Amino acid sequence: MVTGHFGLAAAVKSVERPVPLWALMLATVWLDVIFVPLYLAGVERIDNVPGTNGGYGDGIIHADYTHSLLGALVIAAATGLLCTRWWGRRCGAVIGAVVFSHWLLDLVVHHTDMPLLPGNLGDLPRLGLGLWRYHAVTAAIEALLVLVGAALYWRAAQQAGGPARRVNLVTALIVGCGALTLALDIAGI
Amino acid sequence: MSYLLGTILFAALIGVLDAKLPWPKPQKGGE
Repeated sequence: MVTGHFGLAAAVKSVERPVPLWALMLATVWLDVIFVPLYLAGVERIDNVPGTNGGYGDGIIHADYTHSLLGALVIAAATGLLCTRWWGRRCGAVIGAVVFSHWLLDLVVHHTDMPLLPGNLGDLPRLGLGLWRYHAVTAAIEALLVLVGAALYWRAAQQAGGPARRVNLVTALIVGCGALTLALDIAGI
Repeated sequence: MSYLLGTILFAALIGVLDAKLPWPKPQKGGE
């Protein structure tokens, strides 16, 4: 899941209005951002679900550091603390929570590939509710998250007194980028 | 992987445009 995370970030912005949207957008995929260099270094990896070509929802993701429960909590706490220095405790707490929300949303869709401890220390059971088995359902939920997030954002931005033209533009970009991202994700790009 | 990197760029664009809206500013020091 990528697109759904951005929908959540837009929804959070509608409630926690002082937190910069760019920071929320980055925070919501922060675990994946950190995953990229680890993936390129071969520390974390993605395998295809047996019998598939590894397309949308068909990856077994061995992100054993960034997407372990403890790893995600540590990254979320560290990121929140860092943001507290810039924007105060409230914003820092919100950013930390949004970083961790990534793990919770991923838990719903991932196959049983999310470890509790970094590096799957102790070889404990891995977690994942496996909604990705149902591609259409998962994609629909991701699209719904973006649409709801964009609608909540639009209403909040209107209430904040933003010029209608810019509010509409940003809202349209949230929906458009969400649609594009979801399409690329489904296409396996 | 490319969609993730592309999305981050999009997020930056959205973020820049959003930053020009009259949102309340963060209260440093907490509330």
